[in-house]
Amino acid sequence: MKIDKYEFPDDLLYDREHNWVRIEGNMATIGMTDFGQKLAGEIVYAEVPRVGRELKQGEPFMSLESGKWVGRIKAIVSGKIVEANEEIEWEATVINNDPYGAGWFARVELTAEPTGLMKASDPEFAEFIAAERARYGK
Amino acid sequence: MKLYRLGTVSWQDSQLLYHALPRLGREGLNLLSPGSPYVCIGYFQDAEQEVDLDLCRQQGIPVFRREVGGGAVYLDGEQLFYQLIIHRDNPLLPAGWEAFYRHFLQAPINAYRALGIPAEYRPVNDIIANGRKISGNGAAEIGDYYILVGNLIVDFDYERMVRVLRVPDEKFRDKVYKTLQDNLSTIRRELGFAPPREELWDLLAAKFAEVLGPLEVETTVDAAWRAQADTLAATMLTDEWLHRRGRPREGRAVTIRAGVQVLQKMYKAPGGLIRATVEMQEGVIAAVSFSGDFFFYPAHRLADLEAALVGVRPEEAEEVITRFYAGHGIQSPGVTPADFVRVLG
Repeated sequence: MKIDKYEFPDDLLYDREHNWVRIEGNMATIGMTDFGQKLAGEIVYAEVPRVGRELKQGEPFMSLESGKWVGRIKAIVSGKIVEANEEIEWEATVINNDPYGAGWFARVELTAEPTGLMKASDPEFAEFIAAERARYGK
Repeated sequence: MKLYRLGTVSWQDSQLLYHALPRLGREGLNLLSPGSPYVCIGYFQDAEQEVDLDLCRQQGIPVFRREVGGGAVYLDGEQLFYQLIIHRDNPLLPAGWEAFYRHFLQAPINAYRALGIPAEYRPVNDIIANGRKISGNGAAEIGDYYILVGNLIVDFDYERMVRVLRVPDEKFRDKVYKTLQDNLSTIRRELGFAPPREELWDLLAAKFAEVLGPLEVETTVDAAWRAQADTLAATMLTDEWLHRRGRPREGRAVTIRAGVQVLQKMYKAPGGLIRATVEMQEGVIAAVSFSGDFFFYPAHRLADLEAALVGVRPEEAEEVITRFYAGHGIQSPGVTPADFVRVLG
């Protein structure tokens, strides 16, 4: 579904750090939302996380660079990385161009049930995005 | 907030101290200069690709990788560094990176203006005076802290800056040198003299106090901070840290300031290798020079083609080159206008 001009697919879950996750059984694919990439601006570098790395929900696990800013990305789930998207290291703008497709970050084997995530259709999520849009003037 | 007026520190401390403060859970504004020159590369850069490491070794110029973005820079005591470390929940922090730069860069901008230099903010992170960059800035998140680092440039060693960069050839180096001269200014260039150093530090501190509120001045590095910086040194001053893998890139690009870049790209067309050194200004080709081992008849028209591309956007280049080929009866076996476009922009 769309919230204003930003796309938020219905089959994903979202956190308050502008990340998304697609959960299929015990596996999760994670990335940055359309709104998140708009906030970041043109992403020029991405640091691909190592396969095997343990993630803890809410803690930084990789970095991006845009506008001479190096920002840390917080994990939306806890688990172990089983596959990392190396393409984003070669061409980081794919995160801008296709945040829910080719711009995914990693696939993760879940070790704990993620908490506090929202669906795009949740009223709470719409409120959160409205507040973020007002905050950032987006 | 604390203002750490540290004056001249070792080159190592000019980087380690601001990396250490957020790790101690402390905010602060550091004002300091490095005691000796060094080269500093961006977090994601590849040291081998960006810097002439052999030359730096020969000349005793250390190279450091910072946790802040941006490109390779030559730093020395003629630059006055400001380093702001601020907690993400601090109410002074505006939302969004552009607002962050715009807000806090008011301090150095106002310092320049107080000196009579007409500085202004240029998105995302530059300060411009009379059309030239006069301050370099970068930012990062370290833990729960946002970091802004930048400088007032009293004087700049243009020659040394281009010497320490790794470039594909001397032509490219000359282009970078000239573009730097044209697009980077200094206090000395703008005023014709350099004001006393203490006057500049006082000005910078006063202008930051206008943005941050009252600042409590400290002039020394306390034991906990020293210990954290020393701990970081054990990692960040190693070759392993310097040479951590950067993203491999095709060609070479040096960003002079926002909107101004010198690039070199190569493409192996069926008819031979085409190499282009291009100066881009605000998305438009400002200058271009082709070389390589392809055939181009009549040969003297190659310079005319270069001239015809000035002022053209890369996306318009194929049409311009095709028209040029038709208008001048150009023959270049195995090299098409589309092949030239691949090395532009």
